[in-house]
Amino acid sequence: MIPLFGMVWKESVRIVPGLVLAYLLILAINLLNYVTVNGPIVEVIAGWAPPFGINLVFNAFSGFLTTLMVFMGLLVWLYSYRFKSNVEYEPARKYFLLLMMLVTGSLGIVLTGDIFNMFVFIEIVGISGYALTAFYTGRDSAEASFKYLMMGSIASVLLLLAIMIIYSQLGTLNMADIASKIHLMDPKYKVASFILFVVALGIEAEVFPLNGWAPDAYSEAPGPVGAAFSGIVVKAAVYALIRYTYTIFDLSGAFDLLIMIGLITLVIAEVAAIRQEKLKRMLAYSSIGQMGLVFVAFGINTSAGVFAALFIMLNHAIIKPLLFFSGSYLVYHSKKKFIADVDGMGKLAPFTSILFTLGAFSIVGLPPFAGFWSKLSFLVAAANSNMILIIALILVVSVVEIVYYMRVVNRIFFFKRSSSLLARRPTPNAYIVMTVLGLAILLIGFYPDSVSGYLHNAANSLFDKSQYIHSVLTATIQ
Amino acid sequence: MDSTYFQYLDYAIYGSSVLIILIGLYGALVKKSLLKVVIGLSIMEAGVNLLFVALGYLKGGTAPIFSPKGIEMADQGTKMVDPVPQALVLTAIVIGFGVTAVALSLVIRLWRHHHTLSIDQIKNLKW
Repeated sequence: MIPLFGMVWKESVRIVPGLVLAYLLILAINLLNYVTVNGPIVEVIAGWAPPFGINLVFNAFSGFLTTLMVFMGLLVWLYSYRFKSNVEYEPARKYFLLLMMLVTGSLGIVLTGDIFNMFVFIEIVGISGYALTAFYTGRDSAEASFKYLMMGSIASVLLLLAIMIIYSQLGTLNMADIASKIHLMDPKYKVASFILFVVALGIEAEVFPLNGWAPDAYSEAPGPVGAAFSGIVVKAAVYALIRYTYTIFDLSGAFDLLIMIGLITLVIAEVAAIRQEKLKRMLAYSSIGQMGLVFVAFGINTSAGVFAALFIMLNHAIIKPLLFFSGSYLVYHSKKKFIADVDGMGKLAPFTSILFTLGAFSIVGLPPFAGFWSKLSFLVAAANSNMILIIALILVVSVVEIVYYMRVVNRIFFFKRSSSLLARRPTPNAYIVMTVLGLAILLIGFYPDSVSGYLHNAANSLFDKSQYIHSVLTATIQ
Repeated sequence: MDSTYFQYLDYAIYGSSVLIILIGLYGALVKKSLLKVVIGLSIMEAGVNLLFVALGYLKGGTAPIFSPKGIEMADQGTKMVDPVPQALVLTAIVIGFGVTAVALSLVIRLWRHHHTLSIDQIKNLKW
């Protein structure tokens, strides 16, 4: 549709995605408020009632993530509104088309109630992700994108195998139907398909041994695309993995597995982040580490744990794009994008530097900011489940996190400017986006109750498995 | 000589499709040339698709088409092949086509940039 509009009026290529996303955001917030009162909405597509047709499920959990992702999509659009406006019309058309495909696919992953449909949406996200990673022709982006593509297509084969095992055993593809029949399945097949699901989705969700693509893709892709990956795509993949673990499968060891992969991811990623020389790669490893934290929190398997996991996901979705946006302006004129190039930027670009510092303080969990509350709720949840060693490990890792973020902040404000690099003034749109994200951090930091109600509802709805199954299977054609 | 001998052939399709998947995985992971890696990925997808169709196949079943002939055969007790895997595989083939196209375009970009397709010589990015 977007190229079609573009033929009529060139500027509409840039405007239409924003209008669509803004409308979706209003719709999502309204639906989220509706759902908390009236229970989940199940939309049946093409007149085939579940368990036969494809259905979309909007409950408190998926609705929360939908709202978050649409919000991030809107901000990414706003940030990149003038993106490539200095060159001709063609790249802008491709860029916005791919960006909208990325958002569509991620929303589809979250909303769908059918495992094969989820596979299709994951592939949509994958293909647009490969193309967006390779968007700049000059740099090594094609190499990063090829790496991503290789891992992504192996993941899709494994995902298809897992779906096939489930279908051959149970004869259904509907999630709620599978969840109600899963106890009939032979444990051998159950474990095999669960492992295949974890490996396949772990590649998209940046779980440790499978995340080789992430640092390259983040550092080679255009700045807003990196923000979109960490704010939207990864969230969708984590959602899929959690949906399989909590709702569909009833394996007892699955939660321990989540904790283990989470801890390994966390430790390795933070240790790798500390020895990075390039700013964006450091941010990418930090992003992977945060995902590890989310998995540990989900693995606790209590309502408080899920609450903490969702809170960390929310904060990560707000803070990491802020760091990517402001960070990419700080190293804008640098060829190699080294961390050393930010020396003394505090005087040249005070606004960007202060926002970067705000994000850095928040993500390591200093008290007045948003990151503090999510880390606190995570530690409380872990303490309630008597996981003392995990708490100790998380605190040690937090120290590592502080070290490498403070190193950058220190360089920004207290180092002498060594190179002759100029600061790049952000565009007005970028100012707006970064200010909105900064204000969101402060809002959640000073007034965490503003979001915790939604988070509690979402956490409870994830645990209410029987209601999910019931509401999907009794859905009728409207 | 009749069914007892040939019934193993029914399983041959499963074995061979798993073999195809493994061959594709070998090609994708071991080969040095980027083109061969892409070919390996395509072979792997083909193997999975074959396995999926084979699972839905029913020996002696008829095509799942809602036609007068099909209804007549169903009335006489002929079973229909499960149509769902076929629909899914059709979707998966289209997706695989898209991924292969993107992969080949990336290979072209890498060739223009580096003038080689060997993985060993294209490593500007490290882990």
